Amino acid sequence: MRDERQSVFGKAIQALSRISDELWLDPSEKGLALRSVNSCRSAYGCVLFSPVFFQHYQWSTSVKMNDTDKILNLNCRLGMKSILPIFRCLNSLEKNVEKCKIFTRSDKCKVVIQFFCRHGIKKIHNVCFQESQPLQVIFQKNMCANTLVIQPRLLAEAIVLFTSSQEEVTLAVTPLKVCIKSSNEESMDLTDSVYSEMFVGPDEFDFFQVGIDTEITFCFKELKGVLIFSEAIHAPIAIHFDFPGKPMALSIDDMLLEANFILATLADEPSRASSLQTLCLSQKQKRSEPIHSNSKAGKNVTSKVPEYISRKVEPKRLYSNETPTNSSTLENCGSPLMKRANKDITEVPESDGDISEVPESNVSDTEDVPGSPCLRKFSCMFFGAVSSDQQEPCSLPFQSLATASDSEGHE
Amino acid sequence: MKFRAKIVDTACLNHFTRVSNMIAKLAKTCTLRISPDKLNFVLSDKVANGGVSMWCELEQENFFSEFQMEGVSAENNEIYLELTSENLSRALKTAQNARALKVKLTNKHFPCLTVSIELLSVSSSSRVVTHDIPVKVIPRKLWKDLQEPTVPDADVSIYLPVLKTMKSVVEKMKNISNHLVSSFFSEKSSQVCSSGCVSLEEPCLIIEANLNGELNLKIETELVCVTTHFKDLGNPPLASENASQDRNSEQMAEVHIDIRKLLQFLAGQQVNPTKATCNIVKNKIVHFDLLHEDVSLQYFIPALS
Repeated sequence: MRDERQSVFGKAIQALSRISDELWLDPSEKGLALRSVNSCRSAYGCVLFSPVFFQHYQWSTSVKMNDTDKILNLNCRLGMKSILPIFRCLNSLEKNVEKCKIFTRSDKCKVVIQFFCRHGIKKIHNVCFQESQPLQVIFQKNMCANTLVIQPRLLAEAIVLFTSSQEEVTLAVTPLKVCIKSSNEESMDLTDSVYSEMFVGPDEFDFFQVGIDTEITFCFKELKGVLIFSEAIHAPIAIHFDFPGKPMALSIDDMLLEANFILATLADEPSRASSLQTLCLSQKQKRSEPIHSNSKAGKNVTSKVPEYISRKVEPKRLYSNETPTNSSTLENCGSPLMKRANKDITEVPESDGDISEVPESNVSDTEDVPGSPCLRKFSCMFFGAVSSDQQEPCSLPFQSLATASDSEGHE
Repeated sequence: MKFRAKIVDTACLNHFTRVSNMIAKLAKTCTLRISPDKLNFVLSDKVANGGVSMWCELEQENFFSEFQMEGVSAENNEIYLELTSENLSRALKTAQNARALKVKLTNKHFPCLTVSIELLSVSSSSRVVTHDIPVKVIPRKLWKDLQEPTVPDADVSIYLPVLKTMKSVVEKMKNISNHLVSSFFSEKSSQVCSSGCVSLEEPCLIIEANLNGELNLKIETELVCVTTHFKDLGNPPLASENASQDRNSEQMAEVHIDIRKLLQFLAGQQVNPTKATCNIVKNKIVHFDLLHEDVSLQYFIPALS
């Protein structure tokens, strides 16, 4: 790829770096997807570059013959620390680099990035990758009750209102107006922080559809990452969301690429959390059948067994040993739900042993949610890669959600 | 206690924003004193500030199209609020191109200064931005520490050179003296006590001036001595007659001050003031008296003993 496309590619990596420390490179016939998921599974980003984005795009699969006769894709996970510095200085990239070539050498587990620069200089970066199945979240954007499409400029003007120390922001919509404001939880705790809000009328949006009046709270840092990326490609951002607790999607659709950032939102009350619809869990080889039937089952299950696990992720500094009292004071789920959540999360089947368990499996023990930028009280999006090898375990996650009494298979 | 004010003029709003930015650079926390015709930003000379004090005054009618206040009581018709200066300047920064800005004292769970901004936007509907800045109401018994400081009888009064030049010079001098001071003293000395005795860590700058329009900035260390001379600055007419008779116009009056405090003061001046005077009381205090259009700023830096 050349020139300003490299800059766009670099910006995508930078935006994804705000989500997590790991990046998955996932080529397919649809194009090259870059994915990132944060360690507490409350944010997911995927930027899919269509083959047309590149001057030359070649993807080949190695077809392995085994029982199920499936296609094995490149499962490539890179540390953000290795790849981000390569694309960090985008200005100098644009000026000096004439062509950039990326290819993999799976025999050596390396991704090679070659920069052909001016004056005949050639820079080669070899980045080792780890075999790891990428996670994929499929979010039904068009099923969301509310959709707003905004220009990046509007989002930039909103972001300026808040300080960088602001962790969460709330987006409140009614058919008449939209408000973005500092999250209420925070401003009441700290008497030192400024509470800010901005009201915007519907006509400032490129597209405005509000099906239900709602207020959702989500992580500010991730929003900033999305903004940076959208400004780079000058494309409007579509925001899809529903009620609190259900994840929201920020997506950018361009001819050459499609970016989706899915963020968890703060759930209101335990009962709401349990009635959430599922985010389909899937792997690239879609095994839609078991999942669909599971989701149906999920919906029928009463408040005891959510497929969405709403839970609090404790911040590093506070509340680490006070889980029970906190869960009662905070709006979110009560402890029975969390205990179940703990159990469920630990039983996610791991494919190829690569996807690590959601680290905060037990809120009460973690002093320090390892390496995560997570925020408290977020609902975790629960998904895992379900390997195609394991047909049976596919239904396991859902099975384990049930309480002992109705553990009869969800099909 | 009530306070509501409104600014509709863009120039006034920008000026107010600039003043607020300056205050934010000079003092992390300051007191806002609201009286029927003035607004003051005050920093009192506590030990916590290192003895530095500041008094900034603006006439409310030069800024606000509407201004109503009701103080603590009829005899004490003033309001003293303590706030983090940066919160106000940041809120005002979002008010560029505003149609109107309103400030009022509110009580939302705790006392706040609510800044509400009506922004012009491309489309027909306007945007409303609100910031609730938490403030602390200062009780009347503490007001005496926050009064306008008395201007001391200066030994020398002199007009300052262009502040940007002065700032870059002082910055370079600070780097030199810092480097040398820290290489001599490896452990932190005792804290500055209230009479201002020297802490070995404080890099010292000597500021001296005479009635001949000459101002010198000096740093002296074991290894090197650097002096910057400013000439032909001009002196404002001295207040007392006695002083001008006795004094030799060549004689320098000097004060030893902490260079960092001087630098902080200079860094706060983004725009060159309309008028800038420096008054030196030998070995006691340096008093800077600036006028930014219609806003006056007085800044006092005490001597290191």
